[in-house]
Amino acid sequence: MPESDFLIEIKNVTKTFGGVVRALDDISLGIRKNEIVGVVGENGAGKSTLMKILAGVFPPDCGKLLYKGKEVPFPKNPKEAAKRGIGIVYQEKGVVSCLKVYQFLFLGNEERFKTAKTLHIKKMKEYAAEVIKEFRIRCSVDDYMYALPLSTQKMIEIARAIVSLRLEHGEGMDMVIILDEPTAPLTIEERQELFKQIIAMKSSASFVFVSHIMNEVMEFTDRIHVLRDGKVVASCDMKKESLSEEDLFRVIVGKESVDLERSKDRQPAEMGEVILKADNLTKNGCYYDVSFELHKGECIGLFGPAGAGQSEVLRTIAGLTSYDKGVLQINGKRAKAKEPPHVRLKRSVGYFSGETGKELFLNWSIAKNISILNIHKIRRKLTRTINFRAEKKMAEEIIGNLRIKAPSYRSECYSLSGGNKQKVSVGKWFERNPAIFLMEGPTIGIDVGARTDIYEATLKMKERGISMLLVSDDPKEYSLLCDRIIYFRNGRISAVLSMEEFNEVISI
Amino acid sequence: MKNNVFRNVSSALVKWFKAYPVLLIFIVLFVGFSALFSDRFLTTLNIEAMLKQFVRLMLFAVGPSIVMTAGSLDLSFVGIWMLGGMLVWLLQPVVGPIAIIVYPILGILTGLMIGIIQAKARIPSFILTLSVMITYWGITALLSEGYARTIKGYEFLTAKLIPIIPTALLWAIPILAVAIFLMKRTVLGPYFYAIGVNEEGAHMAGIRVSRLKVLVFTLSGLFTGVSSIILFQHLGGSIPVELNLNEMNEPLVAIILGGTPLMGGTGGPQRTILGAITLTVLMRGLNVAMLPPIAIELLVGVMLIISIIVGSRSLNKAGTEVT
Repeated sequence: MPESDFLIEIKNVTKTFGGVVRALDDISLGIRKNEIVGVVGENGAGKSTLMKILAGVFPPDCGKLLYKGKEVPFPKNPKEAAKRGIGIVYQEKGVVSCLKVYQFLFLGNEERFKTAKTLHIKKMKEYAAEVIKEFRIRCSVDDYMYALPLSTQKMIEIARAIVSLRLEHGEGMDMVIILDEPTAPLTIEERQELFKQIIAMKSSASFVFVSHIMNEVMEFTDRIHVLRDGKVVASCDMKKESLSEEDLFRVIVGKESVDLERSKDRQPAEMGEVILKADNLTKNGCYYDVSFELHKGECIGLFGPAGAGQSEVLRTIAGLTSYDKGVLQINGKRAKAKEPPHVRLKRSVGYFSGETGKELFLNWSIAKNISILNIHKIRRKLTRTINFRAEKKMAEEIIGNLRIKAPSYRSECYSLSGGNKQKVSVGKWFERNPAIFLMEGPTIGIDVGARTDIYEATLKMKERGISMLLVSDDPKEYSLLCDRIIYFRNGRISAVLSMEEFNEVISI
Repeated sequence: MKNNVFRNVSSALVKWFKAYPVLLIFIVLFVGFSALFSDRFLTTLNIEAMLKQFVRLMLFAVGPSIVMTAGSLDLSFVGIWMLGGMLVWLLQPVVGPIAIIVYPILGILTGLMIGIIQAKARIPSFILTLSVMITYWGITALLSEGYARTIKGYEFLTAKLIPIIPTALLWAIPILAVAIFLMKRTVLGPYFYAIGVNEEGAHMAGIRVSRLKVLVFTLSGLFTGVSSIILFQHLGGSIPVELNLNEMNEPLVAIILGGTPLMGGTGGPQRTILGAITLTVLMRGLNVAMLPPIAIELLVGVMLIISIIVGSRSLNKAGTEVT
């Protein structure tokens, strides 16, 4: 393909953080006029870093930026990026919800409507109405942002990015709008709505669409670049080649990971009694008619493309969100739709998320982090006071069991590496021993060694007869831990697979 | 060998000062004032005054310093102290000496009210407790018809027992002991810290955040109420009708100086003791230096600003190491 074809092109971009972590490694890619380019990859693959370089948040270590074939310096700040015709819509916190639509649309560009020190409100409204009409956004200029549905808010944000570039350069400017995970807060229906509208906007701008939700990327992008560990590992022209979701999945995750020898000769767990039963569980906008049974000592993987509803099911069982319809039975007893986590904990349901920032109390010691969940075990019977010697013993046992690398049980958690933090999080549940253990991305962003230790701990818990539900980005994790896979698609269960079937699907 | 011992001691000292930076300030102030005003600073008169000052700060600060560990702020203590006194003055002729229990009752009720409003309406605790304090002050002024009232009959509470040591200090010891025990030895401490450090995480770990927030304000109210019984007599046995901002500021400075950050998550009454001692030394030292009272108040304000900046800086530092 001819190089002049690209509107914006980057060549051999490398970025390291702190001289050690190589976030981007020799990346080259280009964006044509009126094109939607998808950039996909796991958490920590370098997507956000790349976008931030394009938007001028920080400079790369080396590399070239070409604008219409000519080399230009990288933008040093978002304002310079805007001069090159690059706008960015961030994942969240972009909307000022207390403003009216027209006010928000021109936020930061009010100067252009200034006449003798007062704002020309009529002119602003007229122009805003034009913009809304052009992009077919369903709202009125006088609506408040907070009153609109999230997808409409996102559309207005995108429109705002285009409009501010236009005000900067005048009509007919070629521009690139970067959408950083724009669908993250949206429901399934809202996403479809947003896609339709973005496709309609294609005539006025090019888009870079960053996401880890695969099926949506495949649905409406023209080309896809897959990032892994800071490298472009695959590029694909969606018009010329057809790519299945499984193919894409395989490319994103890559092959090298923990060894899977254990999973092959593992015996399937014996089916105990039913401990958790979901019957037509529905949460509007997230998942519909989800029914399954979890047996004692069994591990079920809730698998599917990100955003298909599996993590919401998990969070519902954990008590972090409520459900709208259906029946949820835990230990034979019906659980109400809205129950806070402490009630679920009493029903012996534990929830663990790989996002350590949420789970851990980072400026606490390892011992305190473990004991906060197990205080009942270290209280003296008579006086109800805390036995610090028991706390120490408990912490040291966990540190040994999970091979947590720390100078002492008193080390504060923020000083630990990512993998060891995660081990502390798992460790406290290991000690707590809930009847049902819910895991969401238990090994996000940690190295292979720590992963193996965490898998080992989870398998030990399974041997104790703990039932588990797993949601993860990594299909190998499912192969390693699960006995059955429930396949989610668009908020519904599309298939229940045995492990042999599942391994065949992801071809391990 | 000798060298080794010296090194061990010095490294232990460095560790100690890192954990309790306020100790360093205290030592500097204490040594400095003792050297500069050797004839006035270390006299029995001044030491007694310092102890009195310390008791006042400490009794006011017990309740709020518990609240602060959970990441909230409680300014209602001045209000409880004023209104409670006025109610005692009104009720004493009717029900007799037992009227004094109005203090803890008012404290508990106020704490409950603040806690429930805070949990349900999610108003920032600073605004909420400030409003409560101002409202209580207004009611006090209304009930008193504008005159400071004197309550008689409780003089025995602070009658002198031991020379130099104010009796109120003897009362403060068990109150403090209970507060420290609750924070250090029972589950309440870890739970309050958890809410202060990471409310979402606490929620996910099955801690009943809303209920504990009600409890923390109730406890604070109770401690303030009990302390007020001693305080009002300690401060002269009369109920003021004018709001004195120093009554609010100085305990706050003592708490923050002691090492309980505004965001909570660490500290508590035991750390406030250090803060109260240091602030007392500073204020008495300046007093001995014959500085005008206005200047001392100004310095207390500056102290508050500095201690907040230092406190939040150490937190930010911990935050950057996280990511």
